[in-house]
Amino acid sequence: MKIELTEELKEEMKKLREEFANLKEQLKDVTEKERERKRGIHIDVGTNVREYIDDVMEGVAEGIHGELEKCVFIGPKGVKILRERPSHRREHQIEVSLPKVAVVMSALGHEHRLRILKELMSGGKYINELQEKLSEITTSTLSSHLDVLEEAGLVVQEKVRGRHLITIPGRTAYKMARRVTRFLERRDYK
Amino acid sequence: MIWQNYKLGNTISKTPEPVTLWKTERCIIEISSDTLAVPIKLDDEEKGYVLHGHGKLLLDAIVETGEGAIGKSIEKELDEPFLMLGDTKEMQEHFTESSKEDFAAMDYENQQEFLDKAEDLCSRFFREREHNHQSFDGDHGFIFAFPNEAENLDILVAKNSKLVYKAEDVVFVSNKDKVVLKSQGEVVCKNNGKSVVIKKDKSVIIKKTLF
Repeated sequence: MKIELTEELKEEMKKLREEFANLKEQLKDVTEKERERKRGIHIDVGTNVREYIDDVMEGVAEGIHGELEKCVFIGPKGVKILRERPSHRREHQIEVSLPKVAVVMSALGHEHRLRILKELMSGGKYINELQEKLSEITTSTLSSHLDVLEEAGLVVQEKVRGRHLITIPGRTAYKMARRVTRFLERRDYK
Repeated sequence: MIWQNYKLGNTISKTPEPVTLWKTERCIIEISSDTLAVPIKLDDEEKGYVLHGHGKLLLDAIVETGEGAIGKSIEKELDEPFLMLGDTKEMQEHFTESSKEDFAAMDYENQQEFLDKAEDLCSRFFREREHNHQSFDGDHGFIFAFPNEAENLDILVAKNSKLVYKAEDVVFVSNKDKVVLKSQGEVVCKNNGKSVVIKKDKSVIIKKTLF
């Protein structure tokens, strides 16, 4: 299959070269005539120029061949064309799970949990370190808040070390919550 | 001298009490009491064990980056026979003689059934890999091989603070603060507060943090 494709490519390149040579000849005639008409100067396309154009054509051919090799996969089951879709199109195709949104928003909907996330933004912490920072929250309440945050995927706990860490979604959600609040305050939507 | 020449010992022991096989800041491997153990021998020298009991592997395969934490803690119940290679001197102190009841407790009809399972595990581990005796010895830490649900082996190599864990969906390498994690199509490298995250969409995030 690969040999066939290479042969087809070679054939295409041969035709392109012939067309290009014809066009070059035509252009040469037109240019010569035009120049003769205007200034009476005759310029021959030298060997170096031809070589240069041939080199360019070779480069183009290699480029096309390289691109084909990248996007055409020839396997035991035949030829497969690999197409990479733009990322913004993929984003639109992802279904947003509303129950999941509700879980995340619910986890963010408590001042104590937001304060926990804020503390974790500066690095992972053991529960006693969090307790020191958030002394008004009892240990049992703190644990249940951490469970809610963990359930929503905003916080993860190291089972061996015991530290609690804010996850990438946790950071994003915390920043987003602050941005939304700032936006609402600025617009005075209360 | 190659590992393919291994032999299983004749004496099957058990642990009268729970034993911690490996413990570091990130990883704990524990086995319960009454865990069966058969030695793996190479040139009549004990190089490790096949163990079967109720144990647990805990591993913090998490990397904390400036973007947030990536990964999760791995919690694996060790209810199937698994293999451990490394220094056996300390382990020998934890073993006592096993009885028929101990085999029955692990759902074996007899000793041979356990030996067959141990042989099968060793065969999968040694014959599917090319292990050279010179490349691994007790002084070089421990190797664990745990059967997984995909009927492959999850491998954990540990020495002091250095750890390599390879399972079906995760590869985790750590040495103190240097960590590499490949999980769910993402790759994270962290060293001395600097982290590089290669996401699923091939975007790369490079950040420096204080933690």
